[in-house]
Amino acid sequence: MPQAATVASATTGQGKPPGRTGWLLLAPLVAWALAFVVAPAVIMLVYSFASRGTLGGVVYDFTLDNYRSVGDPVYLQIVFRSIGYAALTTAICLLSGYPVAYLIGRADERWRNLLLMAVMVPFWTSFLIRTYAWVTILKSEGLLNSLLIQLRFIAEPLEMLYTPGAVVLGLVYTFLPFMILPIYTSVEKLEGALIEAALDLGAGPLRAFSRVIVPLTSPGIAAGVLLVFVPALGIFAVNDILGGGRVDMIGNIIENQFKTARNWPFGAALGTSLLLSFAAIYFYVNRRQGAAAVR
Amino acid sequence: MTRFASLALAMLVSLFAGAAPSAAAELNLFAWSEYIPQSVLDGFTKETGIEVNYETYASNEEMLAKLLSGAAAYDLVQPSEYTVEAMIKEKMLLKLDHAKIPNLKNVGKEYWGQPHDPKLEYSVPYMQGTVGIVVNTEKVKEPITGYADVFQEKYKGRIVILDDALEIVTWALASQGLGPDQVTKANLEKVKPVLTKWLPLVKVYDSDSPKTALLNGDVDLGIVWSGEAAILLQEQPKRFKYVLPKEGAHMFIDNVAIPKGAENVDAAYKFIDYMLRPAVSREISKDFPYTNPNVEARKLLTPEERANQASYPTGNPKLETFRDIGPVAADVDKLITDLKAKSGS
Amino acid sequence: MTWVRRLFTAWTSLVMVFFYLPIAILILFSFNESRLNIVWTGFTLDWYGKLLEDRVLVRALQNSMIVATATTIASVLLGTAGAWLLHRYRYRGSSMLETLIFLPMIVPEVILGVSLLILFVTIGMQLGYTTIVISHVTFCAPFVMAAVQARLAGLDPSLEEAALDLGATPPQAFTKVMVPYLMPAIVSGALMSFTLSLDELIVTYFTASARTRTLPLEIFGRVKKGLDPSLNAISTVFVLFTVFAVFATEALRRRNP
Repeated sequence: MPQAATVASATTGQGKPPGRTGWLLLAPLVAWALAFVVAPAVIMLVYSFASRGTLGGVVYDFTLDNYRSVGDPVYLQIVFRSIGYAALTTAICLLSGYPVAYLIGRADERWRNLLLMAVMVPFWTSFLIRTYAWVTILKSEGLLNSLLIQLRFIAEPLEMLYTPGAVVLGLVYTFLPFMILPIYTSVEKLEGALIEAALDLGAGPLRAFSRVIVPLTSPGIAAGVLLVFVPALGIFAVNDILGGGRVDMIGNIIENQFKTARNWPFGAALGTSLLLSFAAIYFYVNRRQGAAAVR
Repeated sequence: MTRFASLALAMLVSLFAGAAPSAAAELNLFAWSEYIPQSVLDGFTKETGIEVNYETYASNEEMLAKLLSGAAAYDLVQPSEYTVEAMIKEKMLLKLDHAKIPNLKNVGKEYWGQPHDPKLEYSVPYMQGTVGIVVNTEKVKEPITGYADVFQEKYKGRIVILDDALEIVTWALASQGLGPDQVTKANLEKVKPVLTKWLPLVKVYDSDSPKTALLNGDVDLGIVWSGEAAILLQEQPKRFKYVLPKEGAHMFIDNVAIPKGAENVDAAYKFIDYMLRPAVSREISKDFPYTNPNVEARKLLTPEERANQASYPTGNPKLETFRDIGPVAADVDKLITDLKAKSGS
Repeated sequence: MTWVRRLFTAWTSLVMVFFYLPIAILILFSFNESRLNIVWTGFTLDWYGKLLEDRVLVRALQNSMIVATATTIASVLLGTAGAWLLHRYRYRGSSMLETLIFLPMIVPEVILGVSLLILFVTIGMQLGYTTIVISHVTFCAPFVMAAVQARLAGLDPSLEEAALDLGATPPQAFTKVMVPYLMPAIVSGALMSFTLSLDELIVTYFTASARTRTLPLEIFGRVKKGLDPSLNAISTVFVLFTVFAVFATEALRRRNP
């Protein structure tokens, strides 16, 4: 019986230091994290200090040239452009997604499930296919132009495909569900009493929203912003398809270094810089959320 | 729960039936996209039982990058003439045993003695072609004779070009009277202003399938592979025209070669010999109407195919092959990346 | 609040149309006789028939299924173990371990792909099924872990204690009490993992080989080439599969509140 008692406390205790079996169980997990999360990043760091061989191999000397190139105004311009597109996409997703998330979150059970599933389907459908759909609609001899010409709204086809607008449209289309779902999760947790209280106390809907509801859903907003901004910053497929190879973003530049340009060290330098920036963003947002929660 | 699980399991099992990675012989083919008809691959598999794994690339540089990284082993690659030259220099290719390729005799005499591989010791010609200008004659009424005619302000946003840094640079060089064997750092500086003027006029960069934008009507002019142009001429002969730029055009010879480290060398030899059969080579020409180096296959072409201006250009155009440019490749790439970034949005 | 509600409802309807119109067009035109997605010329199932004959596509699908299944199994094991062990043990560095495992989820996929490619090349591992599965697991496992963690958060600790008091051994307590309790989270994590893996393009782009081309890679190649009518049929099949998966998840959720 005493043995059972100690065993009982051993298995139900939360957050206790691991014994020998504990470490044995943890070992594979730690090994995985080291091998496939830490190691790639470290090796990429090492590559970033190497230089490019004649034909495009890797020569292991030590040079800061790659990082100097990263600071080159041309690449910085591309970085800013990527940030611009990602930020614009995030903003549009936030503004258009919030009302949807709010509605679903406050809807009654039946509607809520239906609407949720309606959002999940595009969320889970391959983004490639959803992007391709827009190619067929937007091209010069595509559906939209043919429709507009038939309805006599325009005489000549509009140039919609292979433009920055098409890229933004494609990005918003890809990422909107990623914004709606986290915000919905926050809204669902809202207590109806709070909202009613805000309104009862004389706040118009606008003030109730900005002063009460939006701040309360800030965890969801933060998650949504992160889930849209971060991947949007690194995309290269959507803008490749919709932008005609003209709207180069940082993702395309990195991809190019590992394919055509055959400059792995430079690609590694770009990758490392980007990775460190993201770590910084993540920590910043995480700390703000922590502070907000304490508040 | 269990009913759903068993149903799902049944579905998965049925999908796996026949999917197990077989121990059967296979061929790992790394080649250009839009270059080898699936029917040819299927025919090969049917006859030899060798499964073909076809991975594609859209530029020689991309292929080199993958090979150099050692990340994957391929049995057959498809380098252009200047890449063959580079690969021979770096000792990346297997020396070919001509005894294993009896159909080599079908290749035209003019393909022997080329600077990149004069005795065809490492490569076998696959297809030849040019890089030239496609004009949508319904939209562009005035004569287009060269690069300078294409890159005019009035055609801004109506042009598609290959997404190939080396190609683009040689066009600019040609417009300044320099040849593709003069790709040096100094000359790159010289053509930088030319390219700075040209690139903002481009709507689409596409090496995979540049004919798409032209067919869609998204662009009216293009500088594309001759095979792509030939397909346009076949499909809509009244709408499109192919012009070889008077300043000088790239004549490329694409080859097949066996990289060192190939695991299925026998399968590779079988495939090379198979593709050199007149009937098979003719089938390749049907789908991808480039200039066929196989003399016997040319005899099997229809008169229309032989008359296609893009596949078999007449006249006396100024054509040149590319040479290996070595380390300057990095500068070429940087120049184009820079200018694309500046001119993009 | 009603005018706000009405406004939001109208907006949501617009958004739903925005979501589904392109998909609907694809599905509609997959039955169209004409190759171009503009004019309706007649009903046909030809394109679907062509799909089945397309050996390359079928093989890509098989590859994707193999990878997705292996990924899901590995992710479930790793994610569940991770969540449970992190819940149970606290030690210096446990939050660091947690962050590390979650890292691939919040990093742009291009960096994941590139760094994993560098890793495989450095250790001399040939690209193939193993490398693809490893890549997929790195970002699928965190999803499973998050789902299981959420479920663990609501765990009543006395549950396990009760089992042990009633004479169960620790392993028995785990399998007979913990696992069934966690099952809904595990299943939803598994479904998410399967779908993510099936859909994955960017990371696979860097870590696949000729033999192991997955379906998204194949589709990407075809989309870049454009004008491929089989894409409509492929898209429809994909969408139908997704709808099925979503309904399945929902049905499961209802059975196990």
